[in-house]
Amino acid sequence: MKTYFERTVSAAPLAVFRIGLGFMLLFGLIRFWSKGWIEDLYINPKYYFPFYGFEFIVPLGNYTYLLFAVCGLSALFFALGLFYRLTSISLFLSFTYIELIDKSTYLNHYYFISMICLLMIFLPAHAFFSIDAKINKNLHSGYVPGWTLDSIKLFVSMLYFFAAIAKINSDWLLHAQPLKIWLIARNDMPLIGFLFNYKWTPYLFSWFGFLYDLTIPFLLWNKKTRLSAYAAVIVFHLLTSLLFPIGMFPYIMIVTTLIFFSEDFHLKLLSRFNKLFKGSEEFISTTNKCSFKQLNQKVIIGVFALFFFVQIVLPFRYLLYPGKLFWTEEGFRFSWRVMLIEKSGYAEFKVIDAISGKWVIVNNHEFLTKLQEKMMATQPDMILQYAHILRNHYEKNGFEKPQVFVDSYVTLNGRLGRVLVDPNIDLASEVESFNHKSWILSYND
Amino acid sequence: MKNTNLLTAKILLLFVIIFFSCSKDKDNTDNNVDGFDRSTMLTFIADDIILPSYAGFKIKLDAMTEKSNDFTTNPTSGTLSAFRQAWVEAYTEWQKVELFDVGPAERHTLRNFFNIYPTTIHSTTTINGTNNGIIENIASGNANLNLPSNYTAQGFPALDYLLNGIGEGDDAILAEYTTSTDANAKLAYVNKIVDQMNSKFNQTYNEWTAGYRDQFVSKTSLDIYSSTSLLINGFVLNYERYIRSGKIGIPSGAMSSNPTAYPSDVEAFYKKDLSRTLAITAHQASVDFFNGKSVKTGVEGNSIKTYLDAIEAKDLKSGKPLADTLNGQFKAIATAMNGLNPDLETEVRTNNQAMIAVYSKLQTATRMLKVDMTSAMSITITYTDNDGD
Repeated sequence: MKTYFERTVSAAPLAVFRIGLGFMLLFGLIRFWSKGWIEDLYINPKYYFPFYGFEFIVPLGNYTYLLFAVCGLSALFFALGLFYRLTSISLFLSFTYIELIDKSTYLNHYYFISMICLLMIFLPAHAFFSIDAKINKNLHSGYVPGWTLDSIKLFVSMLYFFAAIAKINSDWLLHAQPLKIWLIARNDMPLIGFLFNYKWTPYLFSWFGFLYDLTIPFLLWNKKTRLSAYAAVIVFHLLTSLLFPIGMFPYIMIVTTLIFFSEDFHLKLLSRFNKLFKGSEEFISTTNKCSFKQLNQKVIIGVFALFFFVQIVLPFRYLLYPGKLFWTEEGFRFSWRVMLIEKSGYAEFKVIDAISGKWVIVNNHEFLTKLQEKMMATQPDMILQYAHILRNHYEKNGFEKPQVFVDSYVTLNGRLGRVLVDPNIDLASEVESFNHKSWILSYND
Repeated sequence: MKNTNLLTAKILLLFVIIFFSCSKDKDNTDNNVDGFDRSTMLTFIADDIILPSYAGFKIKLDAMTEKSNDFTTNPTSGTLSAFRQAWVEAYTEWQKVELFDVGPAERHTLRNFFNIYPTTIHSTTTINGTNNGIIENIASGNANLNLPSNYTAQGFPALDYLLNGIGEGDDAILAEYTTSTDANAKLAYVNKIVDQMNSKFNQTYNEWTAGYRDQFVSKTSLDIYSSTSLLINGFVLNYERYIRSGKIGIPSGAMSSNPTAYPSDVEAFYKKDLSRTLAITAHQASVDFFNGKSVKTGVEGNSIKTYLDAIEAKDLKSGKPLADTLNGQFKAIATAMNGLNPDLETEVRTNNQAMIAVYSKLQTATRMLKVDMTSAMSITITYTDNDGD
């Protein structure tokens, strides 16, 4: 074990990963900004859905642009390896802050990026081929501890592996849901569209997706299978980007999985860039070894051990809740459950004044954006948050003791819709916690 | 490389097994391959439903325009009653086109110029220095009917007031257009409303025939700008907000406790005995559209129903097709609506429970259309509010 932590590897893969991730993030942020989503998602909404325990994360109004600018600049500096320690921290903090503002924008790959950025703070990704290394000769090294590179590979592998485990359910494997619904919607695509008219196509895609997620980390890790595995990565992710509106994620994974390639590959890549920018031969061929101070290394390995322990446990926390996970979504997030459910809902709220008896049916449009309403209607914790928003609003507007009831209706993976939340429960007096929400009606399949 | 080949072989073998184990289903699929061809569906909806419906409405609107001209050039009890009859027929026919809130109709917000009610007789709110109500518009003589504040002072609801509600009894109504001091101003306003309806409708209809039809048929994807998405969104919005809420929910007070009901908010309030017919007609038009009943031949063709059946939209548990479930609910609604008083205002005042019962049946259907149907079709509902304003 000791020898494993003393082993060193080329610093090139980590440097390539730093550059790739930084520029992908910068591009992603510019794309987000240019589409007007900052305004749509973080400035225009009247109310927000913070994560439980993170209610102190508040929207920043027009300063959100500043937050994105800080995040974008951090990503650029991060890629260049300039003031790396500082910019890796500011990148992690600014990106994570953005993602914590509103649950309705939660995506697994944003969480992935947040967590990767957290790991990167502790890794010597700036020791090689960076501006920091150019300036600071003591930092400049061609070799880094092997475990630093492995920790990124491990995390990426976990993403795929858990995504595969999440697919082991009858909807995905036996009923080919939700792909059955999603693929036929694309049957007018050129060249491949006609395939989606066949009944076996969603089954094929479901099983291929499952086997891909399950095996790809091992096939990438194994030198013999790496090249064909990477070809599969490209085909798989490009296909998903053609078929589904999932934004940057496919491209991020295509760049990220490069990390599995050999030292030689990354060194060749970097020396090409080095020649392009007319860098010195020494800049690329240094044999210095970057190592942590004994104590630092111990602390960081301890932190990483804790991190990975949490990451392994988190996807299984749903087992602590009764009921069907896809229905209750208790313990659903932060678990690499990607593209697993087609869920759509309808939630009509009735606010009753317990004192005067007057009541009103709420027009959700007055409180929420389309996206927020769509997300809220299928997720019990958001239904509760919204009920509290309504309670507080009507308390200020002439209701002495507002009670909030919801008429909810949700369809899941092609089943006929049914009631999600007990319509007789006054949500105004329910409180959020990590406990099971007893007012979610059970789903007997 | 040996490992790779072995694995590849295993995966391939698995796919082959899956392929063959499912391939007997393929034959069934091929038989109704038309079913999920959205291009065929859109073509049928355009050529057999929307365009003939518009053509049918145009006939009734033209007839009403003629009777309106007769009336305004020579207001007598004869021309009044002919105008009224033509208005009833056009208003009823309108219910069969209001649901096509897509393309030119959506762009020109056609509904706003035809059927926003209750109508505003006299407005107490001043916007940009003017009050926009029927009385104010008659007095000013130069009202701009394109202003949103004038939506409730035009169209069928405004004509309802002008033909049926401006006086007590036929003689009093006729007097408003003959002996009253501002009789000519009123006649001019009737003409203005009818002109506006003609201009807005003809614009929409012409654009449909002069190019939009081809565009409509060609946009076969399912993103938010595709024909199917826009059409379904408009259809569901019409069903939820303008049938469920507008015709039944709001008058019956199902939307709020204060006051308990708004009987005067029924459609065609001044005509008294038309509101149920309008509701039934609008609902039946939605059902026929869903089932793809050709307006030309009466025979069902490619439609939402055939599409849902082709993509096998059925409850995963019971196996019951979604289209059957919906049609069952539609039937229950039609039966319940037929049991209502022809004058829904009377029904609200005397037997509101029956109205509320229809409302909850409509609510059930709304959820199925909005949640089950759109989810099965993988359509994003691009509007999400359900206020019923």
